[in-house]
Amino acid sequence: MKPSSSSLFTQTIKSLSRIHSRSTRLFSTDTIDHSTTNPRIFDRSLKRRHRDRAAWLMNPHSDPLLDSVAENLLDRLQDCKRAFPKALSLGGALMPVRRLLGGRGSIETLTMMDSSLEMIKLCRASELELPDHEKIKTLYVVGDEEYLPVKEETLDLVISCLGMHWTNDLPGAMIQCRMALKPDGLFLAAILGGETLREMRIACTVAEMEREGGISPRVSPLAQVRDAGNLLTRAGFALPGVDVDEYCVRYGSAMEVVEHLRAMGETNALVQRSRLLRRDTALATAAVYQSMFGEEDGTVPATYQVIFMTGWKEHSSQQKAKRRGSATVSFDDIQRHFGTPS
Amino acid sequence: MVRGRAAVLLKQFNEILVCPLSKQPLRLCEESNALISDALGVSYPIVDGIPCLVPTDGKLIETPNEDDGDADAAAASYSKNTDDHERAPVNPGKETLET
Repeated sequence: MKPSSSSLFTQTIKSLSRIHSRSTRLFSTDTIDHSTTNPRIFDRSLKRRHRDRAAWLMNPHSDPLLDSVAENLLDRLQDCKRAFPKALSLGGALMPVRRLLGGRGSIETLTMMDSSLEMIKLCRASELELPDHEKIKTLYVVGDEEYLPVKEETLDLVISCLGMHWTNDLPGAMIQCRMALKPDGLFLAAILGGETLREMRIACTVAEMEREGGISPRVSPLAQVRDAGNLLTRAGFALPGVDVDEYCVRYGSAMEVVEHLRAMGETNALVQRSRLLRRDTALATAAVYQSMFGEEDGTVPATYQVIFMTGWKEHSSQQKAKRRGSATVSFDDIQRHFGTPS
Repeated sequence: MVRGRAAVLLKQFNEILVCPLSKQPLRLCEESNALISDALGVSYPIVDGIPCLVPTDGKLIETPNEDDGDADAAAASYSKNTDDHERAPVNPGKETLET
């Protein structure tokens, strides 16, 4: 029992550290790892350091974009009549979620998890600033969404605000969330969708083509809206619900877009990313961004597409569709009974 | 005082947290200030009262008995594997045979 289980551990560590060893092989574009079942798209340990940096850079009191996404996500809690005593809040916009929670969902025990220790420390420090009536019993954990350290069937609610789009295995992470939920537990998630930063994507491509004669991935591949519903169903959630919102943020210049991305911990963490950015390419990107998308007043827009996902863990009390072919009344009869619409 | 706090912490941890890899319960080791997964023989550190349960933060526990050899063997096979990857392109068939 023991040797096999510890080899599971070494295997996982091995596959994780293989990403590091690859960093020395800049010339290689082959990053498909055949020995593990899941493809490694994102460098999770780099993302962790990004989030450490974000904890130092961010404004702990407000961020207009993160606040509106968190507010929109938490609004869904108000639509539910039931209470969620035990909740887990996953990385991404942890701080805005905590700040804007304000007693919604009547949460009694909250677990806050992020992959970055600095971010968790910041959350713990900011908890002290909250008014007394908003304080709830909170547990702080550093953990990885891909390896969720939560016991099965213990939680009533899992909130993940803008964190899950950085997981290599999104369905796997969602399945782990479902396992951690009690029956009739709620899963709420917001992830960035494929239209996010489309201006940046175009500007980077144009500038890199022009200066370096080739392109490298600068913006992550993100889930499309039509995939989100499939994801929820594949993860086994009942009553799946998906909706999309687009936020357009105006910045003073393209440099400010990058600064904001840094403060949110949303900078490029692709395994295949190019590890150097030449100064003239960066400046060219900013210039292209400004000239292609700039407004008359000198500001540049950046689009953020956010996909909100809602799913429930199966429970016998939930409504279900009837079995196919089990109808006893024909639609023709119904139409005849109520008359045809004029 | 410290012991009392540790007990409270442990109770809170055990209500929700498990080992991220094996999903088995964790045990608090006050001496090393770490959470230990007995199923895997891995210890996860507690930094500043915050448990760090990311798999890469975990350490294989080395005990003087047969576990020591086990950890050594694991380390040896790990370095051997990484050597293989440095030398030759990834060969899926070979990899599954080895592991």
